[in-house]
This record gives sequence, C-alpha cells and structure tokens, in this order.
Amino acid sequence: MHYPEPIAQLMESYMKLPGIGEKTAARLAFYTVNMQEEDVTRFAKSLISVKRDLQYCSICGNMTQNDPCDICEDKNRDQSVILVVEHTKDVISMEKMQDYKGLYHVLHGVLSPIEGTGPEDINIPVLIKRLQKDEVKEVIIATNATAEGEATAMYLSRLIKPSGIKVTRLAHGLSVGSDIEYADEVTLLKAVEGRREM
Amino acid sequence: MLLKDISLKGYRNYEKAVVTFSKNINVFLGENAQGKTNMMESIYVLAMARSHRTANDKELIGWEQDFAKVSGNVITEKTSYPLEIVLSKKGKKARLNHLEQKKLSTYIGHLNVILFAPEDLALVKGSPSVRRKFLDMEMGQMSAIYLYHLVEYQKILKQRNVYLKQNRKNKKIDKTYLSILNEQLAAEGAEVLAERFSFVKRLEKWAQPIHADISQEKEELILDYASSITLQSKKDKDMIMKNLLEHYEKNERREMEQGTTLTGPHRDDIKFFVNGKNVQTYGSQGQQRTTALSVKLAEIELMKEMTGEYPVLLLDDVLSELDDDRQTHLLKSIQDKVQTFLTTTSLDGVKKELLHDPRIFTVINGQIEMESE
Repeated sequence: MHYPEPIAQLMESYMKLPGIGEKTAARLAFYTVNMQEEDVTRFAKSLISVKRDLQYCSICGNMTQNDPCDICEDKNRDQSVILVVEHTKDVISMEKMQDYKGLYHVLHGVLSPIEGTGPEDINIPVLIKRLQKDEVKEVIIATNATAEGEATAMYLSRLIKPSGIKVTRLAHGLSVGSDIEYADEVTLLKAVEGRREM
Repeated sequence: MLLKDISLKGYRNYEKAVVTFSKNINVFLGENAQGKTNMMESIYVLAMARSHRTANDKELIGWEQDFAKVSGNVITEKTSYPLEIVLSKKGKKARLNHLEQKKLSTYIGHLNVILFAPEDLALVKGSPSVRRKFLDMEMGQMSAIYLYHLVEYQKILKQRNVYLKQNRKNKKIDKTYLSILNEQLAAEGAEVLAERFSFVKRLEKWAQPIHADISQEKEELILDYASSITLQSKKDKDMIMKNLLEHYEKNERREMEQGTTLTGPHRDDIKFFVNGKNVQTYGSQGQQRTTALSVKLAEIELMKEMTGEYPVLLLDDVLSELDDDRQTHLLKSIQDKVQTFLTTTSLDGVKKELLHDPRIFTVINGQIEMESE
C-alpha cells in the first residue's frame, strides 16, 4: 500500500532529522495528523523561525536572534576579557556557571587537517580583528582537552601573544567532588603536572 | 598468578567445555585441527579481551551459536577472582568479579599472559614493524600512561601527515600551525621514546644471562633501541624533544615533498647483536631462535619485576620448533614458578623427565578430557 501523498512528504522531511528512519517517520507523521491544529501551526512556525530568525553574531560568532548578540551588547559585562570556545553549546555551559562576566568568541570547530579544517576555516580572523580594535586585556582559551583542542589553543596563543594581550588556558585535572581512587592514570598525571603552590 | 579453571560455551569448535588446570604444566595433546590452539586462544581472550589470531570477534563465536562465553577463576598471591568474557553479534562484555567493566582498560591486566607461538620467531627475522608492535603490546599491558602517550602520538602524527600533504595539493602551509604540530608531536614522541629506551634496557638486563646460559656462555646478547633520530641523551625527555624538533626542521622540505613524517618512534627498530654481530642479518637460524627465546623468557621476568606476579605462559606449538638443548632450557626456566600451557601433536620429542608433574589433556574434535595419570 502507498502512503497518501501529504503523509509521504511529511515522512520524507522527518527522515532528514538525525536518528529517524522510515518506521519512526511513519509513526510521527500519523501522530501529526491527529494533533491539534494550533499545535501543528506552532510547530511549523518554530521550524521556520529557527532558520529565519537565528543567525550568527557578527562580533563573537555566537548563535543569536539579534545581531550583535545580547552578550556583546551588554555593557555591564567586562569588555576586557574574551573567552574562546569551540561551539555555541559551550557558551551555554559557561553561562550556567553564572560566574563569568566577560565576553565570548565562538570558533565553530578546531584545527584538524584530517577533517579539512585549517586556520582560515574557523572563526579566527574575526577574533584577531576584534583584538585590534577593542580594549581586551585577557583571552581565556577554553577549547576541549583533546589533541586538536590543544593545538588550536597553542595556535591562538602564538598569534595573540605578540600583541601583549594576556593569554590563559583552562586547567586540566581532577573533576570537582571526585575521588582520587576512581580517577584514571592519565587524569592523575595531568593533575600532578598542573599542581599549584598553596 | 594462576588460572585455576576455564569454562567455554559456544566458543569456536567447543560447544561446551569445563577444565580444571594444574598449577604447573598443562599439555593439550591432539591431532591437527581438533581444537588445541582454540583452547589456548580462549585463555588469551580471557586475559586480553581479544584474540591474537583475528581482529574480528565474530569469528570466535561457534557455528550456529548466538554467543560465545569464556570464564575462569584467577588466583594471585593475595586474592582470587573470576573473569568472564561474553562475545555476541552485538559486541562484547567483560566482567571482573561478576561486575561488568565499561572500559576494557580496567579489565585487562587481571590475568597477565605471555604467548609464544611459532610466529614469534619473526620477532628477530621479521620487519621493524613486528618489533615495534611487540614493544607497544608489552608496554601497553604494563603501563596505561605509555598507552595514552602512544595513542596521542599516533593521532597527532596522522594530523601532521595530512597537513603536510596539503602542500602537494597546492594549498598553502601555515608555518605557525605546522610548528605547533611539531611541538605536540615531539612532546608525545619524547615520552614514547624515553619509555621505550628504558624498557629495552630492562629487557636486555634479563635477556643477557638467559641467552648466555642457553648458549653455554659462548654468546653475549645485546639489545639496542635503534632510533631514526640521532640522540644526545636517551634519558632526558627535554633533550629528546629538542632532538626531534631539530629533525623536523632539517627534513622540512623533504617531508613536505613526500607528505609524510620521516623520523620518530613510528620509524624505529630494535636491533639484536650476538657477539657484536647483528643477528638479523648475520645470525644463523639457531642464533635467531635462541635470541627470540631469550627475549620471551626475559619478558616473563620483567613482568614479574613490574607487576609483582609471574604471568601465565602460553606455548603454542613451539616445542617442535626448538631443539633438545633449547627445549630443556625453556622448560627448566619455567619449572615450578610459571603456570604453563602448551599444545603439541605428540609428546615423543619432549623429554619426559622435564615435564615435571604435567597434566595432560587430549583434544579430539572440540572435546577435551583429562588423561588419567
């Protein structure tokens, strides 16, 4: 039996989402048929809205509704510190901390020749321009603790340091509230390497 | 360290088998293609959570079986615990003390084994990659930190090689980024090299007296870690790193042309010298065998030094490859201290008086039975 045309088209759309195959798409499509009209309208509108209303901030690269984004516009934030992260998700994690009051810069990736990303493919040129204009005193590099994240951090510090701006890197080591007993050898190694004087 | 017993279910040609082992020598006796090596392999799987014969776990599951299960009890000087590996089409589960271990790295190391198979003679004769793999396998089993540095090294090496190849595609190379890749690679490379130097030295310390003994004091064995870079210091990690960086700089043009990293631990080798001559090129067959045997026996002692327990020794079809003198030496040096498993088609070539209190199992077509003594 063939699916009615509108159902088939809706299924095709659902199947473009990650993790959804034909069976799930069919279930979702038939469920949609029985949904309240106003719910369906809101669903359709929000789908269009994420595409139409969201953009990347021209200053920091964060995902935003208004350009420049709320964080860049907020004059109460410390304009002299920029925290550099890999993805928009990382900005959200950092904001949850509620302790950081500076600005952000989103790279949208890390340097990785295997995946074909070089220095000009991620949001580095904009960052360098930002540093020339603004009153920035410190750049905190918060890329992930992977080999690629580390290489990206080193690359940035090499570019920025000659300008006299302070460059710092997030600490590695034991996670808060964890027992040494359960930490693996490599984490412990990093924690010992990064120890501080008290 | 002892493996007290093992039980198999749906493993290769064993539908079901339960075997209790002797703490000394266990012999699997049988014709070809009956399942001797399968039994041996199952012990290796229990220890390492993978086979030494295949990278495909599915091959271990018996014909028309849904899953294969290998379990056994390990006794150490201080304690004892059960181990279990279950292989199914979906994947594998490793249980230590009945608890599932999410990471294999927390499972491996609870039963230390050393396997000696005819292929191991290639350790001396074969290509450098065989010897590098030998180093990485043995050192990885003893040190999680070495494994970490090795994996990081290989990752960065891959990135760097891809980046160097960009040059050939007429894309520009960013010198700053390349120098960072160099630094990262040299830092991990220095860790790998320093560990390898010290491991080879310690291995040599144990292998020398063994080799002298087998050759009746006629031969002196020297192990040399032959690095692709020239080094001023073999101990100081900072110096090794500096040396590596100098090599990258010197070879920069050639590496860009060829799109690959020409020097470093991934190009190194171990050289074996007997009485000053390189055994690989100038040694007789016999000398090559003695060298391989000395290195393997040294590994047993080194493992005891590093972990505090003797490993379990698996000898797959090697007795037939060794002459009387070497057989005698091998069996004498393990007697009463290392639990040993060996496979053979016949006991005729083996001196009876050497097999001290052996437990003999006959293997016929996937059935294993203990022979009455």
